[in-house]
Amino acid sequence: MSFQKRLAAKEFAVLAEMHTPKGINISRLVNDARRLKGRVDAVVVPDMDNGIMRMSALAGGVLLQQQGVETIMHMYCRDRNRMALQGDALAAHVLGIQNIVVADSTDMNESDHSDATPVNDLDEVQLIEALMGLQTGKDMSGFDLDGAPDYTIGCTLTPFTDDKGRDAALLTAEKRVKAGAGYIIVPPIYDVPGSASLLARVNELGVPVIATVFLLKSLAIAQYITNSDPGAGISSDMIRRIRKSPNRELEGIKIAGETILALKENTQGVLIQTLGWEHKLPEILDVAKI
Amino acid sequence: MITAERKPLEELIEYIKPFKRILLLGCNECVTVCAAGGRKEVGLLASGLQMAMLKTGNNIEIRQHTLERQCDPEYVEELVPMIDSADAVMSMACGCGVQQIAMRFKDKPVFPAVNTTFMGASERQGVWAERCQGCGNCLLGITGGICPIARCAKQLMNGPCGGSTGGRCEISEDVDCAWQLIWDRLKALGLQDRYLDIVPAKDWRTGGGSGPRKIIREDLAE
Repeated sequence: MSFQKRLAAKEFAVLAEMHTPKGINISRLVNDARRLKGRVDAVVVPDMDNGIMRMSALAGGVLLQQQGVETIMHMYCRDRNRMALQGDALAAHVLGIQNIVVADSTDMNESDHSDATPVNDLDEVQLIEALMGLQTGKDMSGFDLDGAPDYTIGCTLTPFTDDKGRDAALLTAEKRVKAGAGYIIVPPIYDVPGSASLLARVNELGVPVIATVFLLKSLAIAQYITNSDPGAGISSDMIRRIRKSPNRELEGIKIAGETILALKENTQGVLIQTLGWEHKLPEILDVAKI
Repeated sequence: MITAERKPLEELIEYIKPFKRILLLGCNECVTVCAAGGRKEVGLLASGLQMAMLKTGNNIEIRQHTLERQCDPEYVEELVPMIDSADAVMSMACGCGVQQIAMRFKDKPVFPAVNTTFMGASERQGVWAERCQGCGNCLLGITGGICPIARCAKQLMNGPCGGSTGGRCEISEDVDCAWQLIWDRLKALGLQDRYLDIVPAKDWRTGGGSGPRKIIREDLAE
């Protein structure tokens, strides 16, 4: 069942994230795609996530589609103007990619090309409107297209670190949904009961909610997230559990799998982020009984 | 100087429609020089607004005042005795001045009366042209005193594009090709060799690429 149909049928969707290489060596991407084929519903391909220059999401998405893996392509506004964004969106459609997530981008200042000029010709709400417009057969200047594309467009809930940020993110998400986003991807959830009120508020936006599950690859990563974002929801019990485990890698995998199981109650899907450990995805899915 | 142009009267009327008492502010600096928002323009706009509102049966009270510099908190304090008697403020200063007023008087609606356009120089009476984009890392020393960032439509840094014809830019016959100007000037200075120096990809962090910029002079900051 396609991702679009799964959303429409209110079936739980399991998505994984895979990054394109910083270079032209695609063997790992292709091998991971083969390994995951049939185990996830679709793979999300970020573009230059975290501000790291790498192979474009469009190319990565096409490579995954060639392996028989359905792709959801990230698009965002930092690096391309409205001409390039529309051109890439049309290219994606003809190359078989119809799922798009309009994502928040890391500021250029924090990228590995911090001296580059950020584009930001459009913002995310405007990009969603532009994609919606393309589907009606018109570009942003109102010119007719020779063949209109068809997309399943989603958006992200902007990451936040405090209550003020959360409220602002929810208001922005409301605008993104109003502009046409048909599903929303929520930042990593570690504490499912503690996130119930947030998920309830996101669910009020009236579109399917997909929660991100981030694989805690090590104790250091868990501690780093807790220190840099105390509101992330990684409890001291969870830190203790990882610390005391004889196999910390496995513990992280178990936590991710258990989080997915728990999220089945109040989301319509999960996006599993493994940041380079895509080969561990099958183990996480085993724990999650998927 | 920072140049500006007054917004259309219709747009300004939309802003002030809900209010009865308006404080209309001018600025004695750049917008006075470019005849967009000085004392004289404040007077003209006040009459224009009053007449337009009267036509729709609305009698509004407009108090006029022109500050020495609206971007300077010291001068903005002058407004304290008059701010309470206004329902809203309309500022004819550049965007810096408008924001300074909004920041100082948090509970007062503030509307811009001009569109701030560019940093430019006067070419002749009544004509101003863009000369600087404030990129924070001035190239004028290697481009013969002519800025390719502000004056080349494509911001090219290593020579002209194919759209340079007869010394004019392809975007308009009224626009000089910045690179033609640079070449002519380097030649006049006997610095043609410099033209072949490759200017590397620009670091845009100083030009706003890293977000809003700030200058802190430790020797002056309190």
